[in-house]
Amino acid sequence: MLSGYPEAYLKERPRWMSLDAVADFFYFGFRNLRKYLSIVLLDMGAIGILWLLMNYVIIRLSTGRIGYALVPWWVFGLGVVEAAALWESFGRSFGHRVARVELRRTDGGEPTATQRILHWLLWHVSVLPIFPLLFIPSPHERVSGLELRPFTMEGRTPKPWWRTSTGIYVAWLTGVALLAAISVTVSWEDLVRLFTKAGTTAKFWRSFFSPDTSIILKTIRDLIVTVFMAMTATSFAVLVAVPLSFLAARNLMRGVVGRLIYTVIRGMMSIIRSIEPVVWAIFFLVWVRVDLTPFAGVLALFVHSVSDLTKLYAERLESIDPGLIEAIAATGANRLQILRYAVIPQIVNPYISFTLYRWDINIRMATVVGVVGGGGIGQALFFYLTGNLWRQAGTVMLFIIALVWAIDYLSARLRAKLA
Amino acid sequence: MAEPYLVVEHLTKVYERGHVVALKDVSFEVQKGEFLVIIGLSGSGKSTLLRCINRLIEPTKGRIFIDGVEITKLSPRQMRKFRRKIGMIFQHFNLIKRATVMTNVLTGRLGYNPTWMTLLGIFPRSDRELALKNLERVGLLEKAYVRADELSGGQQQRVGIARALMQEPELLLADEPVSALDPATSHSVMQYIEQMNREDGVTVLASLHFLSLARRYGTRIIALKDGELVFDGAPEEIDDRKFKEIYGEEAEEVEIR
Ligand SMILES: Nc1ncnc2c1ncn2[C@@H]1O[C@H](COP(=O)(O)OP(=O)(O)OP(=O)(O)O)[C@@H](O)[C@H]1O
Ligand SMILES: [Mg+2]
Repeated sequence: MLSGYPEAYLKERPRWMSLDAVADFFYFGFRNLRKYLSIVLLDMGAIGILWLLMNYVIIRLSTGRIGYALVPWWVFGLGVVEAAALWESFGRSFGHRVARVELRRTDGGEPTATQRILHWLLWHVSVLPIFPLLFIPSPHERVSGLELRPFTMEGRTPKPWWRTSTGIYVAWLTGVALLAAISVTVSWEDLVRLFTKAGTTAKFWRSFFSPDTSIILKTIRDLIVTVFMAMTATSFAVLVAVPLSFLAARNLMRGVVGRLIYTVIRGMMSIIRSIEPVVWAIFFLVWVRVDLTPFAGVLALFVHSVSDLTKLYAERLESIDPGLIEAIAATGANRLQILRYAVIPQIVNPYISFTLYRWDINIRMATVVGVVGGGGIGQALFFYLTGNLWRQAGTVMLFIIALVWAIDYLSARLRAKLA
Repeated sequence: MAEPYLVVEHLTKVYERGHVVALKDVSFEVQKGEFLVIIGLSGSGKSTLLRCINRLIEPTKGRIFIDGVEITKLSPRQMRKFRRKIGMIFQHFNLIKRATVMTNVLTGRLGYNPTWMTLLGIFPRSDRELALKNLERVGLLEKAYVRADELSGGQQQRVGIARALMQEPELLLADEPVSALDPATSHSVMQYIEQMNREDGVTVLASLHFLSLARRYGTRIIALKDGELVFDGAPEEIDDRKFKEIYGEEAEEVEIR
């Protein structure tokens, strides 16, 4: 790890009692900790999930009930930890693959069986109580003479996936998960009903396709409201998301404070985004109690758009060409000038393009948000559907299809122009 | 001998807490008006060295003097001011692709104009005239209002040269200016750089991949290998043995005409 230092730099490494030495200790220590911990957690997670799913399937298929544990929980916990230790010592585990490392001798050779056993035994006293990880190299590596090295394919022939432990694991997991998923969501009775009840719903289908012309004007009014909802939400979202995106771009937020702001904003945005607009709409309906006005719907779309746009914008910012920034900085330009001449030219078109895309999504979302009372055409649709007014519902749906298709086409054309 | 224009003393650059040592204790001097060529294999630290000289990259250790000023001591603000005298051109041109050639060339004057004006895209008339003059000089006058990404590679590099000329530089840093160009175009671009060196008295530091180009244009050559300075002398001094030392045993010299 320290081999990269030049000779002079090595000699001048900080003295033990200095603050630099303390900083180095924590820096390297925590890097070490992160390295092992991420691999161990990945492996335990991988094994744990497979184990739970297998129990689930066994219980479900044999008794029809839902359950996860065939063994006491402490047995499960110990088993998972032990399996991870074995996997990491005797093979190239799932975690190793994700981290792109493998266990090799310090001189680069293939580990011997003795070394692997030593590694496995010492793993228990070194990785489990976590603290020893602050020592570099940590005891289980130091004594066994093994270490995690970056994996390369140099001078090897690739094994087919079914000959690798991770390949077998992933295949096994996929199979079991599929089995579990089907056993929960599909039953034989449902399938039978799906194919035998078509005739009895014919009346429903017929009325659906004979539009009610008397509600056309009202429907168009609702349609316009829906488009306006999307426009309001998108415009205000852009105003908030553009400045936020600069704070959420990894390459611009350097240093400790920068990284913190970056992490907080990205985290918040992904939480907000993971809640669907419909849920937000219900939330705002309860909050602002604006019955039958589109305001709650607009708020819902706004909140969701902000988080989505911030992410899209920030990712675009992260992929800008640093060469241009260098070139403009080299002329003696200051930060604002670099922003104006190196950053903005690279992001305007993508930003506009993302905004159009989001507007397009918001129109579709606006119809869904309306269903819970967020206003616009969705609300009308919901009203007709719950009132068994199938003809009117069919009419509204025709209009929604036409609108979505038109907007889709328009925004695709505009975006093609910008690219 | 006169006071050297550029002095690099014990320059060391370590990337990311000791992972890569890009420059190891590099020292050399450059006289005013020299055309210094830096050669070395890929990854030997040429780009790092050039970027340390205008502090686009902060050196880990060592000192750099330009015209008697210790630039490694300057505050960021003073450094920005100082950079106006140092032009730079790049392997991949680094132009604003969506902007016109004119705008690109004018960015060379950013350091000389008030921020608020440049933010609005306003440049004084004298700057616009200078821009046209410099475009004429690199033979691109009629392309002034063409978008930069519509130009060929050689033309784009000439825009890069015009941008550097706008700074009215004393020193030009060129990081592999012709590596992305074909041999004939390479020579035309190199000749513009040579002209800056000869006629305007600009000191040039250029990294080049081909030794033949280095011999043809350089008045002096330094060579880097794994971040260390392994050669410093006249172009003629590089014989077969030296060549192998710099580029490794298996290397063959290729001509580019
Ligand atoms: N930002 C960076 N972070 C970490 N290491 C870097 C960084 N930039 C360069 N390096 C490393 O520093 C060393 C020198 O790189 P540099 O780009 O200066 O070489 P070069 O001589 O210009 O090579 P090339 O001819 O390929 O451009 C390389 O080993 C490179 O991997
Ligand atoms: Mg380079």
